[in-house]
Amino acid sequence: MNRALRRISIAALVMFVLLLANVNYLQAFEAGSLTDKPGNSRAFAAQFQYQRGEITTADGKVIAESKNVGGVYKYQRVYPLGQEYAPATGYDALYSASGVESAENSYLTGNSSNLAVRNVIDMITNKPRKGATVQLTLDSNAQNAAWSALQSSGKAGAVVALNPQTGAILAIASYPSYDPNQLAVLDGNQLNANDKKLLTDPNQPLLNRATDATFPPGSTFKIVTSSAAFTQGNDNPNTVVDAPTSLQLPQTSTRLINNNGEQCGTMGNGKATIITAFTESCNTAFANIGMQLGSATLKSMAEKYGMNDPNLKIPSSVVQSNFPLEPAQSFTAMSAIGQKDDTVTPLQEAMFSATIANNGTLMKPYLVQQVQAADLSIVDSASPAALSQPVSPAAASEIKTMMLSVVSSPDGTAAAFKNAIPGVQIAGKTGTAQNGVNNSGLNDAVFTCFAANGNRSMAVGVIIQGGGYGAAAAAPIAVAVLKAYLENG
Amino acid sequence: MSSVATSEDATLGGMPDSPMAMPRGRRRTEAVMLVFAVALVAFAYANVGFGLKGSLPSGMAEYMIAFVVLLAGAHLAVRRLAPWADPLLLPLAATLNGLGIVMTYRLQEVGRDGNPGSMSVPLSSSATLVQIVYTAIGLGCFVAVLALVREPRVLQRYTYIFGLVGIVLLALPALLPAGISEVQGAKIQIRLGGFTIQPEEFAKLALGVSFASYLVTKRDVLSLAGRRVLGIDLPRARDLGPVIIVWAVSLLLLVFESDIGTSALFMGLFVAMLYIATQRTSWLLIGFVLFVAGAYSASKLFAHVGERFQIWLHPFAGQNPFNNAFQLVQGIYGMASGGILGKGLGGGQPYLTPLVQSDFVVTAFGEELGMTGLMAILLLYGLIVQRGLATSLSVKDPFSKILAGGLAFMLALQIFVIVGGVTRLIPLTGITTPFLSQGGSSLVASWILIALLMRLSDTARKPPPQPIQDEGMTQVVNLS
Repeated sequence: MNRALRRISIAALVMFVLLLANVNYLQAFEAGSLTDKPGNSRAFAAQFQYQRGEITTADGKVIAESKNVGGVYKYQRVYPLGQEYAPATGYDALYSASGVESAENSYLTGNSSNLAVRNVIDMITNKPRKGATVQLTLDSNAQNAAWSALQSSGKAGAVVALNPQTGAILAIASYPSYDPNQLAVLDGNQLNANDKKLLTDPNQPLLNRATDATFPPGSTFKIVTSSAAFTQGNDNPNTVVDAPTSLQLPQTSTRLINNNGEQCGTMGNGKATIITAFTESCNTAFANIGMQLGSATLKSMAEKYGMNDPNLKIPSSVVQSNFPLEPAQSFTAMSAIGQKDDTVTPLQEAMFSATIANNGTLMKPYLVQQVQAADLSIVDSASPAALSQPVSPAAASEIKTMMLSVVSSPDGTAAAFKNAIPGVQIAGKTGTAQNGVNNSGLNDAVFTCFAANGNRSMAVGVIIQGGGYGAAAAAPIAVAVLKAYLENG
Repeated sequence: MSSVATSEDATLGGMPDSPMAMPRGRRRTEAVMLVFAVALVAFAYANVGFGLKGSLPSGMAEYMIAFVVLLAGAHLAVRRLAPWADPLLLPLAATLNGLGIVMTYRLQEVGRDGNPGSMSVPLSSSATLVQIVYTAIGLGCFVAVLALVREPRVLQRYTYIFGLVGIVLLALPALLPAGISEVQGAKIQIRLGGFTIQPEEFAKLALGVSFASYLVTKRDVLSLAGRRVLGIDLPRARDLGPVIIVWAVSLLLLVFESDIGTSALFMGLFVAMLYIATQRTSWLLIGFVLFVAGAYSASKLFAHVGERFQIWLHPFAGQNPFNNAFQLVQGIYGMASGGILGKGLGGGQPYLTPLVQSDFVVTAFGEELGMTGLMAILLLYGLIVQRGLATSLSVKDPFSKILAGGLAFMLALQIFVIVGGVTRLIPLTGITTPFLSQGGSSLVASWILIALLMRLSDTARKPPPQPIQDEGMTQVVNLS
């Protein structure tokens, strides 16, 4: 019987070995991947057991930090400048997160594999574990100017400012905003109540209008149409084009007119140079140019500027700016002046100007400058990369001349801002976009611009919902942001 | 330890291979190991207090004194009733029992005194005390078994009575109305007033004893080979009867009580005993095939059994983690959060796993003591199994051999089924974790099992009776 007993013993041994091996697998090897599985509230609570990393601006202002408050969730997330920076930081709530809090979560929690060795060293040396600090590209002066200007305008809208040479986002503001501190509460019931209130607010404070909403670009799209004309159409700013006071769109009864039905330029006879048409923002001229180029050419140029791209991340995802193909001539004409189904994010508006400011090369926008581990070593840093080159440096220079003319020429749509910043020349393009069913909504005010002062340069995109004229509602905000950044150089 | 024979006695006993080394009783080893066990448990108990509130738990002194007194009583009883028994079994079981009390206290404190968390089914504030009372009853039964069963052979007299008792106990909850027997869809307990008894815990032992003595009488016929199929000697059809009957009963259990765990357990117990008795591999294969076939068809026929398989295969799919796989995945998340070294007693969130105090108690240990602590606990069980199997190898009489081997293997199987179940090695079936789960039936039955193993090891290690040497020296007769 002992032979059978020995075999039974081996069977028992095998069972125990299997159990021990499985426990090893679960608790040592699979433990990490299990933290991301659905419904794992322990992993969520664990995040609050040690200090999550800070989020700071490029100039070192802390915009998200964790404070020790004791309790099950030891650390409380605090956003010192909640609403102003909400579009950048996002929130870190009990069961969800957004913005940089979500996109850089593995660094902020310290779970990133890049930090694994440091964590082990900290464990051995018994230092309390702390997440890495994420430094953003934001400039606190520019950001504050953007937020203050939006707030005092009182209208829904957003501002994005870029460094044209790198793509670094210098300001990103959206109004109305929300206070992420309300979503960082550690009491589940309180969190649900706050969340519900924000979700049902008709002003949509949770919507990040800078990157998660699109609006018609209106006349600012004439930058793209001009780019196509100078690149594919062999035109230049002095090319004379048809710019009638009123244009009957082909196969429709629609008559397209310039602003207030005005004549374009001073040449008379329904003709104008492209630079004049651009400066005064004549719709009929660009509608004609667009129809000559064709929708496919316009679409191709729009895509080089970053439109129709569903995959842009800054690191949070940016919604796609749209330029659909419009083969019908009347629709081609409308889309050439930024109407019909053209829609852009405020970020895309800034990207238009940034491309021109950077001699025709579009840099990939990014929000995270670098990641610094708790021991102050840099574990990750941004490397600027070109996204595309929509126009040649020569064409960019021609468009820059036209954009300067918009502000510096007495007839320019943004002439009011000629001397807004002493010693700085602003290049810009206004847009006043009709929207709503049968254009029944209030016009959206749009402005895209760039300027440089010494070694500082900045491109800004502003969209104000229902703001009216771009020059009246959007441009002052953009100029305020430029001023705050360029004068603090 | 007064009865250690000297080599002189042995020589006088006329044994030519003397001087032989007589086995020592080793009760002193047992005492030292018990002190170690108590120290470990006291340390863990204090740890819970410090983990939760940063001070010693209130009432710790009283509980620890009660624990020490109970174990001292058991140790003294062993000295008197089974002086040759294995010295490790009692300390091993005491450690596990003590850790069970500690975990009961830890879970009892959830949500009290400002401690974090809340339990799906909160433990009453007297749960720890009740667990200590169960420990007292368990150790009382332990001593009673040692006192009543002075020789393993006396159990053989009641082969059929034990069998009948076992079957009745198993069948009782199935026959009783669901109102007093159903728990979580399985009919496995009897609720009487405020008490619940899980009769299967005792049925296992009664059936084990009954099987062993049945097999001792029938093992010769059972090992007769019948036809040879695919290189396997099949037993004769009429000898196949008992396996078929046990298989059928275990299937009936599945049907009426929705309890795969228990049926796997006593199917395994019976087949292992058959194999030890007959040494025929064919019995193992037949038993295994019958069980798997039965379980498979049950999974197809009964929705809740099939669901267990689905939960096992796809716990993280779709809404499973929030619905029917909630308990399993929460247990796994707990173990994962414990990692290698654990959160420390009182430092984790075991209360997030529903009913963590019973079937899922192992995951609570995994979370708070980590992989390291859980492996140590598994090794404690492994050692008990090993002591049982070693006893089985060394004991002489066939009944004791089959009983010790069968019981030890059943314990191993029980640990495998429940720990494997909660760690997703195998489909989860609800059976208790011996000594650790909160509750009385399992604890008392586990102590009875330890008592049986100690009685068997006492028999195995007891020196042979002293020869009667009253006639004086052998006389030399001269035949010239």
